[in-house]
Amino acid sequence: MTHPHSSPSAADRRVIIRTVRLKKQYVMKDVVTEALRGVDVEIFSGEFISVMGPSGSGKSTFFNMIGALDSPSTGRVFIDEVDVAQLTAEELAYLRCQKIGYIFQSYDLIQYMTALENVTTPMAFGGVATDEARKRGMRLLDTVGLGDRWSHRPIEMSGGQQQRIAIARSLANEPSILLCDEPTANLDLNTGQEILDLLERLNQEEKVTIICATHDHRMMNICDRLMWVRDGQIERVARRNEVQVEVGTIDGE
Amino acid sequence: MKEIRVSDQPRLGFRRVLRITADGIRYRLFRASVTVAVIAVAVAFLLNILSESLIKRAVARDTRDHIEQSRLVHSWTSRLGAPGTAETILNELANTAADDSRVEELTRMGGLGPDELVQFQRAAGQTIEYMDFFAGLDYARRRRLVHQAEGLAIFDRLAGDANFQKFVAILRETPSVRLTSTPDALREFLAQWPRIRIWTEHVQAGQAIAVARIAAGLNGRDLTQALAAADRDFGHVVREAGFALDEESARVVAGQARQILDQRTVEKSLEHRAPRQIIARYHDILPGDVTTALLWDFVSEPSRAAQYLKAMQAVGISGDQLQPDRVQSLARHWHEMNRMERAGRLTADMEGGWLGLGQRMAWLLLVSMLVCAIGISNAMLMTVTERFREIATLKCLGALDGTIMTMFVLESCMMGVVGGIAGGLLGALIGSSRMLVAFGPAFAGSIPLVDLAASMGVAILFGVVLAAVAAIYPSFRAARLAPMEAMRVQ
Repeated sequence: MTHPHSSPSAADRRVIIRTVRLKKQYVMKDVVTEALRGVDVEIFSGEFISVMGPSGSGKSTFFNMIGALDSPSTGRVFIDEVDVAQLTAEELAYLRCQKIGYIFQSYDLIQYMTALENVTTPMAFGGVATDEARKRGMRLLDTVGLGDRWSHRPIEMSGGQQQRIAIARSLANEPSILLCDEPTANLDLNTGQEILDLLERLNQEEKVTIICATHDHRMMNICDRLMWVRDGQIERVARRNEVQVEVGTIDGE
Repeated sequence: MKEIRVSDQPRLGFRRVLRITADGIRYRLFRASVTVAVIAVAVAFLLNILSESLIKRAVARDTRDHIEQSRLVHSWTSRLGAPGTAETILNELANTAADDSRVEELTRMGGLGPDELVQFQRAAGQTIEYMDFFAGLDYARRRRLVHQAEGLAIFDRLAGDANFQKFVAILRETPSVRLTSTPDALREFLAQWPRIRIWTEHVQAGQAIAVARIAAGLNGRDLTQALAAADRDFGHVVREAGFALDEESARVVAGQARQILDQRTVEKSLEHRAPRQIIARYHDILPGDVTTALLWDFVSEPSRAAQYLKAMQAVGISGDQLQPDRVQSLARHWHEMNRMERAGRLTADMEGGWLGLGQRMAWLLLVSMLVCAIGISNAMLMTVTERFREIATLKCLGALDGTIMTMFVLESCMMGVVGGIAGGLLGALIGSSRMLVAFGPAFAGSIPLVDLAASMGVAILFGVVLAAVAAIYPSFRAARLAPMEAMRVQ
């Protein structure tokens, strides 16, 4: 039996995200909440990982940490062997812009921009010329099936459509890592499946490393590894083929 | 798959930032307009006060000149009627340029040489300066320093050596009293004092002789009547007596004197019953309530002026040169003088200090500016804090701290410009229309447009700078936060 932490593909074992004794405390007045209590993970380049866990388990905090969106209380995060804490503000901005794509639970689209502008804003930050950005943005919107709604504002769209705009936006600068916080939570079955197919394709063809927080069981069919988070710690890490066997009990809750 | 290689983020072009900012403002138009309104009101208030005091100052200047010009007869009457007091002579010397004909006149009357005149004028200046110093003291202090002496008598007293020693001793004990110069300079001045006294007396004596000659030349007229002939025979009398009256001002004085005489004639008609009743009937009031103001109102129209003239002739008041159009022009003049005097009274409270605002107004302005600054800061602070989530999102997408700061400061500036211009126009408009209502539309020409425009520019700049500065701190804080920390602040 292989070690759960080892990569499934022996060909590409480069570690892309590594955390070392990652801890995060939120201090509010006198109450100290420990969101993460020492997390050590290694995620390999090109992997598709599902993160599961009940709400309040520290999932989102974990996401923010490995996405360089928040600073840990103690411990370290290495993205491609670079300590995130050592980066300057500009380098961090570059990392967030070019290397990592984020899909948030609450979409967080910019309300006063059209769908296309939302998608092209990261490209503008990345220095892509306007025409080129428009072309790529339209292609991305076509990919998520909203090419005809490019001029609409988020407020004119349904939750699912906004979610898809958010996905298109996260892919704007062809990131190496995609962090998704429940990307299919607000979608109907068909659209959800489309999104999953899209993510799978990105993972297979573009070798994008995808880390997904999800409750969607279908995600398990396409991911390489699963992680369960509970009480701010990684409770269990398993490869998909190990989990398939015990399919009745995978909820992890 | 892409390599992860960390490097510096390119900067977003300014035009793109501008567009994103403009889109943001358009989306939150209501919120933005409230902020703009706050700025506009602040700037409008500022400019209202500024424009009012600017206009008031200009009107005060205009009316002062005008009133002075129209009072030539008054000043000549007092000049020809009696010799000046020592104080008025010194005052006049101190405040008149050396090449003025008035100085020449004084020299001639006092029989002074040119060198003496130069010394006399300098001494007069010093005298006025010291007099202002003593006039500025309160009664108790003055009494201690110079006993009961007042005016020029102070110098008579201090010229005595014992008194001067005492004065200096007391002055040294009273640190709150600051002499305008040193005691030594004062002593030097006092050494000259007897000479100044003598010069002044000479001038006064000369003036007394001149006045006597004028009185002889009056031929039974009063001074105003005589001055009406200033451009004819009486002008010679005046010049003969030694007064500096040139042809040009003689004509002006004569014209004004005639105007005053005619005015007197017309107003005198109110002593009679019949003319009075015409006006009373027209205004539908009792004859006893008729005033000169109503009289001049009545005759400001040609047909009524003719009617009134006829009534005047009927009671035996005949003005040979009094024609309806003359009466009308008298009425116009009367109204203008009335307006001028009113404006003069309204601007009498113009205090010195910055822009003629006076201490109280300047203080009020300062406080109001402070309140405005806080208001604008608060509005900007709210705008930035309620958009923390958006800032966080933009940071997740790779926006630089500088880009975010630029966005918000730019937004503030834009709102500052719009609010500043709106407020500036509003404030100037309210200020000038209020002043126009107070002084009457005839003073529209007195509005200092250039000053007004300049103060508008300053006020707009004030709004923009204040808005920008107010946005810098909160947006700096927001931009520096890690994205998720910014989101948590909500």
